Amino acid sequence: MNIFTEGLQSAFQMLRSLDPDVLSITWRTIHVSTVATFISILIGIPIGTILALTRFRGRGVLVSLINFGMGLPPVVVGLATWLMLTRYGPLGMFNLLYTPTAIIMAQAVIASPIVAGFSLAAIQSLNPKMLLQIQALGTTRFQYLMLLLWEARLGILSAVIAGFGGVISEVGASMMVGGNIRGYTRVLTTATVLEVSKGKFELATALSIILLALTFVIVSLLSFLQQRKSAFR
Amino acid sequence: MTAELSITQLKLRRSGREILDIDRFVLDSGEILAVIGPNGAGKSTLLQVLALLLVPDTGIIELNGEMIVNGNRLAARRKLAVVFQESLLLDTTVQKNIEIPLRIRGVGRTEAIRRTREWMARLGITHLSGRRARSLSGGESQRTSIARALAMQPEILLMDEPFSALDYPTRKSLLAELGDILHTTRMTTIFVTHDFSEIPALTRQVAVMFDGRIIKRGNIQDILGETAVSVRSWAPWDEDMEDGRGAG
Amino acid sequence: MKKSFIRIQSIIFCIALFLMLGATQSPVCAEESKDVILSTTTSTVDSGLLDDLIPVFEKKTGYRVKTISVGTGQALAMGEKGEADVLLVHAPAAEKKLVDASVVINYQLVMHNDFIIVGPASDPAKIKGKTALDAFKAIDAASAVFISRGDDSGTHKKEQSLWKDANVTPTGKPWYHESGQGMGATVLMASEKVGYTLTDRATYLAQKANLKLDILSEGDKPLLNIYHVMQVNPEKFSKVNAAGAKAFVEFMIAPDTQKMIGEFGKAKYGASLFFPDAVK
Repeated sequence: MNIFTEGLQSAFQMLRSLDPDVLSITWRTIHVSTVATFISILIGIPIGTILALTRFRGRGVLVSLINFGMGLPPVVVGLATWLMLTRYGPLGMFNLLYTPTAIIMAQAVIASPIVAGFSLAAIQSLNPKMLLQIQALGTTRFQYLMLLLWEARLGILSAVIAGFGGVISEVGASMMVGGNIRGYTRVLTTATVLEVSKGKFELATALSIILLALTFVIVSLLSFLQQRKSAFR
Repeated sequence: MTAELSITQLKLRRSGREILDIDRFVLDSGEILAVIGPNGAGKSTLLQVLALLLVPDTGIIELNGEMIVNGNRLAARRKLAVVFQESLLLDTTVQKNIEIPLRIRGVGRTEAIRRTREWMARLGITHLSGRRARSLSGGESQRTSIARALAMQPEILLMDEPFSALDYPTRKSLLAELGDILHTTRMTTIFVTHDFSEIPALTRQVAVMFDGRIIKRGNIQDILGETAVSVRSWAPWDEDMEDGRGAG
Repeated sequence: MKKSFIRIQSIIFCIALFLMLGATQSPVCAEESKDVILSTTTSTVDSGLLDDLIPVFEKKTGYRVKTISVGTGQALAMGEKGEADVLLVHAPAAEKKLVDASVVINYQLVMHNDFIIVGPASDPAKIKGKTALDAFKAIDAASAVFISRGDDSGTHKKEQSLWKDANVTPTGKPWYHESGQGMGATVLMASEKVGYTLTDRATYLAQKANLKLDILSEGDKPLLNIYHVMQVNPEKFSKVNAAGAKAFVEFMIAPDTQKMIGEFGKAKYGASLFFPDAVK
C-alpha cells in the first residue's frame, strides 16, 4: 500500500516535472504501439473482410488459424522474430534487431490476428440481407466494402481497441527483440520489468500508472469514437 | 424511364435442389406485376435474380434487350432499385440514406440533395431527415427505404414483401400512396407478396409461382376470382373501410 | 456519410504521416558501423554502472551502444553466435572456452566485485562468519530455504561451482528454489521467502532498503566476482562491428574509466560497488 501511494506520488511528480527519460519512454511506447496497431489494421481488416465475405477451400483452416493467432503468446512471437532478425538469421541483412522497428514488427504480428479475428466477427454479424441491399444500391466493389466497413464500424473499432490493448501491454516480445535499450528501445512495459528487477518499486509503480493512464486515454478516445455515432439522437 | 426485363431458360440450383426453373419470363415496360405463391416457391430468389444480385447457374437475363454479363452488371444494377421486407437502412441519418445511393450512382451533389428533399416530401418523412435510421419506427424506416428506391429514379423497381412487416394502418396508407406514385410515374414494377389484399392497390397483373416455376400469369380476376379485387382485410379501427372497398 | 469518409481519410492520412515521421526518427537507416551491441550481465545494468559509463563512451567516440542485459549464459551464447560485438561478463571458466576457441579476442580484465551470501537475520542455518563452502554445507544440513538464480548466469555458475566444491547436489531438494530471474528479483524473493541466496555485492547494496537480508558470509576467495571485457572475433563473424568493439574494450580499461568505476556508488551507498583491476 505504501509503495502504491508512493508510486502514485512519484508518477505525478515525474509527469509534472516532465522527466525527460520518462517522457521519452512514454512517447516511444505511444509511437511503437500506434504504428504496430496501424500496420495490424492494414493487415488484419482486409484479411478479416475477405474471410467474412468469401467461401473457398481451406477457408475453415484459415479461420481456425486466425482464432489460434488471437491467442498467440507474445514471447513466442518475440522469439520467432528474434530468430528471423539475428545477424545471421534470414532477415539479418536489414540490421533490425534491437531497434524500435523490430518491436513494431513483433507487435504487428501479435496484433494482426486479433484485428483480423474481430473484423471477421464484426462483418459476419452483419445482416446478410444488408449486404444484398448495399449491392443493390449499385455500389462498385470499393464502395461496397466502404459501406460494409461503415456498417460494421463498431466491431471494427473493437478490433482496433483489442489490437492496441494487446500490443501496448505486451512485454515479452518487446524485451526480446528490442533489448530494452535505454533511450532507444525501452518502452513502458520493459522499463517496468527492469525497475522491478532493480528493486525500484516506486519507479516501477509510477511507470505502471503511466502505462495504465495512457492505455485508458487511448482506449477511451477510441471508445468515444465508437459510441458517438451509435447513440440515439 | 421505363424498361423491359426478361429471362430465358433460367435454372438455379442450391445444395442439389432446383430452386428456380423458368423457361421464359418477360416484365414489360411500364408493367406492374405482383408475384404470389406459397413459402419456398422461389419468389424472393426470382426477385434477387431479376435484381441482378444472384447469378443463376444457367440462363440469360436481358435488360432492354441487352444481355447481362459480368462487364455490364454494375451499370445495369444502377438502373434498378430494390426494396426488401426489412428496410435495411445504413447506420446514418434518413437524409443521408437517400442521398448516398444517389451519389454512389454518380448523381451530382446538388441534384442528389434536390431529389432527396423531393422524395422525403412525397413520402412524408421530411420531418425525420436528421434522425438516425435506427431510431425510426417500422413504418418510418420502410417509408425511408421506399423513398431511397424511388429517388434513384430506377427504370425498374423490385420489391420483396415491402409491407409485410408493417401494421395494418401503416400498410394501408403506404400502399395507397405508393399506388398513386407508381401510376403517375408509370414505373415498371415487380413486387412479391403473400398478402393478396395488397395487390389491388397497386396492380391487376399477377404471376403465381409454385416449386420454382411460374405456373400462371394473367389478370387478378382470372387467377384469384372476382372476389379478390374486393377482398380487403378489415380492422375495427378502420373508419373509411366503406370508401376503401374496391379501390385500386 | 461522405463527410465521414473524408474524416476517416484524414485520420488515415495523419496516421500515415505519423508513421513516416516515426520511421525517419527511428535510426533504422543509421550506419551499421555506428551501433555497438554490448552483451552483458544483468548485474552491470541493474546496479546502474553502465547507465553512468555508456553516455561517456558514446559522447567520446560517437558510437551508439545497444546494451542487451541478459544472464552470462545468454551473453556468452550471443558472442558465440556472433550476435553481439563486445561482451562484459563475469564467468571466467566459461569465458576461457571462448578465448581458447578464438571466438573472442582482446580479452581484458576490467574489475571485480564480490559475491556475498545473504540471509535472514535469524540465520536458521547458523552460517554467519563461516567460509563460503562451510556456509553452503550448513544450509544443506539445516535444509534452509535457498533461492538460486537458476538462469545460467555468472552468479548461477558461481553458485553451482560452490555447491560442487561443497559436495552437495541441491537440485530437486525441497528447500532449493530456482527463481529463473535476474539478481535483483532473486534477492527480493529470498527476502520475501526468508531464505538465503548468493548475490553480488552491488545488487545487494543497491536494493538494501527493500530487503530484510543481512550479509552472513563474505570476503572468502572463491566469492570473488571478476569481470572481463572482450570483443567478438571479427575474423570468425564478418558482421560484427570490430572497430566499435575495440573502442569499447579500450574505453573500459582506460584510466579515466577505471577511476569512474572505483567511484561508482560511493556517494550513494557509502562503499564502492566495483573495484577496478585494469590499472595496477
